[in-house]
Amino acid sequence: MTRHLHLRDISVSFNGFKALDGLNMSVGKGELRCLIGPNGAGKTTALDIICGKVKPSAGSVSFDGVTLEDMEEHQIARVGVGRKFQVPSVFRDLTVAENLEVARARRPGVWANLRWDARRAGREDIERLAQLVGLAEQLEQSAAHLSHGQTQWLEIGMLVAQDAELILMDEPTAGMTAHETRKTAELFVRLKGRHTLVVVEHDMGFVKAIGDVISVMHLGQLLAEGTAAEVEAHPDVRRAYLGSGGITNA
Amino acid sequence: MTSKTSPHNGIPQLSAQIAPLLLVCALVFALPLILNNDFLLNKIARYLVLGILTVSLALSWGYGGILNLGQAMSFGIGSYAMAMALKLKTIPVHTGSGGLPDFMVWNNVAQLPWFWMPFKSLGFALVAGVLAPALVAAALGWFVFRSRVTGVYVSIITLATMVVLNLVIIDQQSYTGGFNGITDLAQLELFGVAFDAYGRATYYLVAGCVMLSLLVAFAFTHTKAGLVVQAIRDHESRVRYFGYDVAAYQIFVFALSAAIAGLAGMLYTIVMEFASPTFLGVQISLSVVVWCAVGGRQSLVGAFLGAVLVAGMQGALSESAAFLETWTLVMGALFVLVVLFLPKGLAGLAQGVWRAIAQRRQATQEVAGTVGQTREGSA
Repeated sequence: MTRHLHLRDISVSFNGFKALDGLNMSVGKGELRCLIGPNGAGKTTALDIICGKVKPSAGSVSFDGVTLEDMEEHQIARVGVGRKFQVPSVFRDLTVAENLEVARARRPGVWANLRWDARRAGREDIERLAQLVGLAEQLEQSAAHLSHGQTQWLEIGMLVAQDAELILMDEPTAGMTAHETRKTAELFVRLKGRHTLVVVEHDMGFVKAIGDVISVMHLGQLLAEGTAAEVEAHPDVRRAYLGSGGITNA
Repeated sequence: MTSKTSPHNGIPQLSAQIAPLLLVCALVFALPLILNNDFLLNKIARYLVLGILTVSLALSWGYGGILNLGQAMSFGIGSYAMAMALKLKTIPVHTGSGGLPDFMVWNNVAQLPWFWMPFKSLGFALVAGVLAPALVAAALGWFVFRSRVTGVYVSIITLATMVVLNLVIIDQQSYTGGFNGITDLAQLELFGVAFDAYGRATYYLVAGCVMLSLLVAFAFTHTKAGLVVQAIRDHESRVRYFGYDVAAYQIFVFALSAAIAGLAGMLYTIVMEFASPTFLGVQISLSVVVWCAVGGRQSLVGAFLGAVLVAGMQGALSESAAFLETWTLVMGALFVLVVLFLPKGLAGLAQGVWRAIAQRRQATQEVAGTVGQTREGSA
């Protein structure tokens, strides 16, 4: 597999706490990579580094040959990186349709978006997307009135609307029912191949259902990589999770 | 642009949203037909101009989430642009060589300063009255929004900038007329029509500009760029991760708002027949915020009516014997009540009532099929 996304020797610290300490990781094109690890391992920070929310103090990030660490967030997004946040982040005062429309940023410039016909063109797309994430009935409802699970789905739908090549998901199933989680897993498997996905997740059942390769992080570094069975058997992983009842209860 | 009423087609209910706007414009245009009092029409024209100013604030505050406490700065720049051009058209009593404005003669200025020169052309002044505030706002916005300054700090910076400009104008008396402002102006003449402050022509000019500003603001809020601006208001950082340059959108809406405020300022000079540093003072700038909040900052028509009604009330109260001393208290109480009980202003109240009526009608009829759902915050 080619090096699609590559993090090299990434370090970052917050007030002296080393959140990432020389992290190295590569993800291939079209891969669905799960990122797990105990609390404070630096999983979310790793996603923050890729999407530009946090700047590394050392190391570099490359995506399809483009160096990301010096770019601004919106420039990184334009290269094809999308991000779903742990706390579902949607536009609460806008309707579901408007949320999806904002996310569908084909032409992000101000002047291009002043045209009247810029909005009508995407309407069918938006209806199809709403169907996909089960919000077709709520299209004209304000996002503030959605349930937690629906909000999660809306943000996932927004990422599909964005159509980013690389999608970063931070705990996408948090607060979802078992049924919703299963639906999410199905969707992710469908996205795999066309998109590259990096998913931070605690739910091992979900990870096993979707993941090919699992990366385990610990203390800001990559600890192990492999299939679910491989990482579960890995002695370092067992040691990192010691006392917390093993990887399944992480 | 065609509008479709089905919520699943095109931009939903565009016609329903533009209806109140057109209705208000029609009322504004029809008023002189029933009101045969030039003095009163001038007064109303003044309130209408303040309404335009408030619409401009609704655009940046209600839609863009940028509370510009220095909105009157753009208003003042527009007002001075118009006054400078009209001043050079007067035939003053105390004129210097080449029609030098009277206050310059009194201040021993021998020659027209360079920045007054272009205002010999009325066309330049008309363009500058709109463009200069927009450019100043864009420059200020570039510094503020590129550095990701947000919230209350934006308000403080805009307020401070306006105060500085206000002090400069007062201080540079020989070039600006100082505290007295620019008075004794010629009448604006455009295409052979003279705009007397107390004439019908001026009223219709103001009415036309009311319609123009409302339509421009409405059109902008209904483009995708307008939608992105509202998304930025809701969750600024989130918008970045979709690839939008947030600062660029903020600068744009800030400048557009300033341009509309500049237009209002030019009209204010025509209606008041002078320009004064008080036009870009703290008092008017904060009044605009109150009008906007009372009317409903997330509704263009609401903000406009809020300004006309409250400014009209202010005028009436301050002139009545009973409230001569206490009218500011009455206004303050009104503001507090609205902020506490009507966070979306009078427009929000109207929308709530409208929705309740619609729901009741729906319940009684029990019609099958879709009934157009009302969208939040966009009457």
